[in-house]
Amino acid sequence: MTSTCPPDVLADISDLELVARIVVDGLVSGLHRSPFHGYSAEFSQYRHYQQGDDLKHVDWKLVARTDRVYTKQFRETTNMAAMLVVDTSASMDFYGAGRSIEGRAPGAAPSKFRYAVIASAALAHLIAGQGDAVGLQAGGRFLAPRAGRQHLRAVLTALASLEARDTWQGADAIRGAAERLKRRGLLLVLSDFYDDEERTLSELRRAHRIGHEVVLFQILTRDEIELPYRRGVELTDLETGRRLAIDAGLARRGYTDAVAAFLERWRRRAAAEGFQYSLVVTDVPPQRALRNVLLARVHA
Amino acid sequence: MLTWQNPALLFALALVAAPILIHILVQRRAEPLPFPTLRFLQPTRLASIRRHLIDDGALLAVRAAILAAAVAAFAGPLVITPARRQAWDRRLVRASVIDASSSDAARAALAATPPAFLSREFTASSLPDGMRRAAAWLESSPPARRELIVASPFPIGSITTADVAAIPRAIGVRFARAGALPPVRTIDAGPVLAIDGLVAREATLDGPRTVVRETPIAGGAALPIEIVNSRDARPAVDAAVAAVLSQRVQAPGAGHRARVVIVDPARNVETTTSQVLTPWIADAIARVMRDPDLQTAARRVAAGFDGPRLPLPWLPIAAAADGRPLAAAAEDGERLIVASAAPPADLFTPVLLRAIANSLGVLPDLTRAEVVPIPDPWLREHERAPSPPAPPTGDALRNDDHDNDRRGFWLAALALLAIEGWMRRSRQRAAEAREEASRVA
Repeated sequence: MTSTCPPDVLADISDLELVARIVVDGLVSGLHRSPFHGYSAEFSQYRHYQQGDDLKHVDWKLVARTDRVYTKQFRETTNMAAMLVVDTSASMDFYGAGRSIEGRAPGAAPSKFRYAVIASAALAHLIAGQGDAVGLQAGGRFLAPRAGRQHLRAVLTALASLEARDTWQGADAIRGAAERLKRRGLLLVLSDFYDDEERTLSELRRAHRIGHEVVLFQILTRDEIELPYRRGVELTDLETGRRLAIDAGLARRGYTDAVAAFLERWRRRAAAEGFQYSLVVTDVPPQRALRNVLLARVHA
Repeated sequence: MLTWQNPALLFALALVAAPILIHILVQRRAEPLPFPTLRFLQPTRLASIRRHLIDDGALLAVRAAILAAAVAAFAGPLVITPARRQAWDRRLVRASVIDASSSDAARAALAATPPAFLSREFTASSLPDGMRRAAAWLESSPPARRELIVASPFPIGSITTADVAAIPRAIGVRFARAGALPPVRTIDAGPVLAIDGLVAREATLDGPRTVVRETPIAGGAALPIEIVNSRDARPAVDAAVAAVLSQRVQAPGAGHRARVVIVDPARNVETTTSQVLTPWIADAIARVMRDPDLQTAARRVAAGFDGPRLPLPWLPIAAAADGRPLAAAAEDGERLIVASAAPPADLFTPVLLRAIANSLGVLPDLTRAEVVPIPDPWLREHERAPSPPAPPTGDALRNDDHDNDRRGFWLAALALLAIEGWMRRSRQRAAEAREEASRVA
């Protein structure tokens, strides 16, 4: 049984490295195989066995066929490179019903943005922990993928300094991240995907075509999915500032239908393009949400 | 001109504001909430919500109008038109006051009067009381010319000019003499103080004969006069009081009291007095001064007070033979005070005490005892024709439930109800159509 730390508790811990460690600790138990596959070595040529060569590199089948002992040579040994792309638009700064004027109310789920940061930190920790390279593209910051603890710290520091504001050019961020991955790598995108759907999808498709593996985390709050408010509410668009007074009871059905269609469209398109897609709701502990995604990768 | 039968009910119009206020408060209570995106609040749906709010406003207005029309109908609207005024002018409301002492004759006298739109009979043993009740009823009767007929033998004193003046000018007044004056009349002659106590007196006038019947009320009555005198004068004063009670004096009115100080003429009068301000004390002093026996007895006394020793507010009420004041009166804390310089044993003392005791009593109205009718010229002089009806007021309108314009307001309320039902149904159909369109999309 894996213990999970509730999202509201994680949201209250300011040390992002600690948060990442907590999440990863609750995540890796039960994952017997690594969920991320690197490109550790590529075969280059055979050469005659020389004394001192590691016997594990001897091609025994060839010995049987030719009666000569050859050793396999590898051109290079590489690790996996992953890029975290985090949506920093103002729409991510939404807490749901737990929101008060001052910010998050005690005991409420974290904002979508904080959730994305925590999940990104956990993923970075996990990837770095298995010796792979991890980079970050978020809020105008770019950290090229590298391995090692020092770099992990830099990634976590960059994540901790991010702020959700204004709009987010998702397509440009994805294009930049994909282009900066030198070799085939893993593109982890965490967003609500409210921005230009078609352009974003087009860039994701392009990244996938050039060989990157694409994993999408669509992060939403429960309130965005269900519109649970009663009677009249005056909604203010976090990105545009536009205001709209609605009778939530009357608008709910049309709204939830539209949101469901939007989510289904992303799920269907991601499946069609070969992306790994996961809808993450902020009231689900990050460990559980990431664990489901990673288990799916392990069993894939 | 529009008037209302129950204008107080118009306050119920405040109820109309209640749903509007609730609506405004609900609108104002819309909780502000930041939200990631408004893109899923579909334009068509939004429009429908806005339309719904506007519809609510229109529906609210219609419902408020229904309430207003119903309240107005309950309040009894009345439009005063010239035709309606003429109709009111043509009809007559009559109140008949019947003298209870000769009711049959009075009814017979009124039988010949032409029929009225509305009439009512008031039987009264006191004509002024019956006239007041009749006038009050006429004031609250439906709009019409109003007439008050009084049927009675009209014995003198049964009505006065003041009674007629108390009737509103718009009400016509007519007197119908009916029946004969009673052969026997009994009146209250007022209680008196006697040596045995308080005695009630009743006088019966029967033709040329007058019978006075006395009934003892209480024994051991005393004069309502406190007498201050020297010890030596006590026997003379007691004899004077006994002499007064043996002659009988008027019983005092409520709260009427006096104090008599018999002083040595050579001394100052030492008592607290003030200027006469109480009406009954002023009246009593005047009555004492008008007593001829007192003035005669005073002139038999040789000398009175020394002038300068009776300063104001003392009022001389009797003068001695030398022309100086023998007795003077003033007010002493809502009590009549009289100072006398006559010797206690002089005749002046019992005469003064009698005059004071009678002045403290309330005299009966003996004019009512006369068995003679009010003269016809007086009755004719106080008769008057009814005036054209003035625009009716509250009670008069309320008591005329048939003559109003309620029907129009009820019809308006019904029409508005029909409109409200139509609006509600059409909105429901539109909402269903939108839902269907949304599902198809």
